[in-house]
Amino acid sequence: MELTALIIPLLILFIISFGLIKKVAVYEEFVEGGKEGFSTAVRIIPYLVAMLFAIAMFRASGAMEAIMAVISPLFNFVGIPAEVLPMAIVRPLTGSGSVGVLAELIQTHGEDSIVVKIAATMFGSTETTLYVLAVYFGAVNITKTKYALSAGLIADMTGFLAAVIVSYWYFT
Amino acid sequence: MLNYLWAGMIVVSILSALGYDLADEINNKYQNGAHHRFSYKLSNIDNQAGFNTGYAMHYFSLDASAKKEIIIPVTNNLPELWKVIANKQSSKIKTELRVKVIEVNREQKEVALQLPEVHWIKIRAVSNALFEMASFAVKLAIGLAGIMALWLGLMRIAEKSGLISYFVRLIYPMLHWLFPSIDRDHPVLGSISLNMTANILGLGNAATPMGIKAMQQLQELNKTKDTASDEMCMFLAINTSSVQLLPPVTLIAVMGLGVSELIVPIILATTASTIAAITSAKLFARARNR
Repeated sequence: MELTALIIPLLILFIISFGLIKKVAVYEEFVEGGKEGFSTAVRIIPYLVAMLFAIAMFRASGAMEAIMAVISPLFNFVGIPAEVLPMAIVRPLTGSGSVGVLAELIQTHGEDSIVVKIAATMFGSTETTLYVLAVYFGAVNITKTKYALSAGLIADMTGFLAAVIVSYWYFT
Repeated sequence: MLNYLWAGMIVVSILSALGYDLADEINNKYQNGAHHRFSYKLSNIDNQAGFNTGYAMHYFSLDASAKKEIIIPVTNNLPELWKVIANKQSSKIKTELRVKVIEVNREQKEVALQLPEVHWIKIRAVSNALFEMASFAVKLAIGLAGIMALWLGLMRIAEKSGLISYFVRLIYPMLHWLFPSIDRDHPVLGSISLNMTANILGLGNAATPMGIKAMQQLQELNKTKDTASDEMCMFLAINTSSVQLLPPVTLIAVMGLGVSELIVPIILATTASTIAAITSAKLFARARNR
């Protein structure tokens, strides 16, 4: 698992030394390339605010519990444990929120339970769709996102179903 | 779609917060204004009430009219409702309860107490969350500024040294299938392939700057500047489905070593979601351009 920690230093070493071999003015080019960093970050602020405040309100209002109460019988009917439902709802909305959901599930069900394994697979197999959407489209000032959100959510749902099926097949 | 989802979240949040609060109000969940009666002993800790009455009595006896406020530290032996109220009261100090003494009956050794009132919890939580997040968004963006500068700088070196174009040549067949309208030599292919590689290796904080860069280059090719192009939608869909071969770092942090057995299911599920993302983006594009 130390692999990820190792990759970045090695990658940087490789890029810099390859640049030196090719006689690139590495320091100058680095600074030149990094210049847009700040302006881009500032440009996405309104998009982030719009997205994050709506999501935070949604989580604070208890609306999720209300939605869960409606959907969980459906989940049970299909044979998916309803405990993983919060993960399915929160994952596309917030990264830190879904870490919280996962930690909570570990605490109540234990690390070895199928519920936690499904939830962790869900966590690992999809991204924070709305955050990615806000950041990426925010950076280029695009507000009309066409079918990007639909395609992203379809991917999320497929990922969730796959997580359930694969976990049952792999762990039982 | 985004408009409806966004507005929907906000409207649903406020309505359901109102709903919960009204239900609490109607059921009188927190027994606002109720007089809680306790008998007390003059010495010692009173187990029934669960707080130090000896300490409290000190206050009672000082004032004959007994219209006093006492401060009760929140401990585990308080009644359930009291703990809940302590946690949800509007006062910022959650570790104490300021209780009004309504009446002291010295013969019966009885005291009537009134707890702080609790109203509109969810609505308060919602408006707190709103302002917290508005400032958090700025912190997030500023944090991103530094990481952006770092990776964009490194990318520029890799671009100048020709490293990126070697790399693009290697995976061009796949890129061409995903983004058929982009020329072979366009620099955006470099950013896209770096972004995908960073995602695959689980380097979340490298993937975002490269993805943003790719978006900006796609925007240069875009004919309608306020509307996403098909290539942008495809790129975004792939990114939201997260093509990860190494498990995300956060997962390791939360679950510890147990994560190694999850790699196989994660790879399978993420492959399924990526296939779904690509397929649906392709189908949507075809339906739009017919």
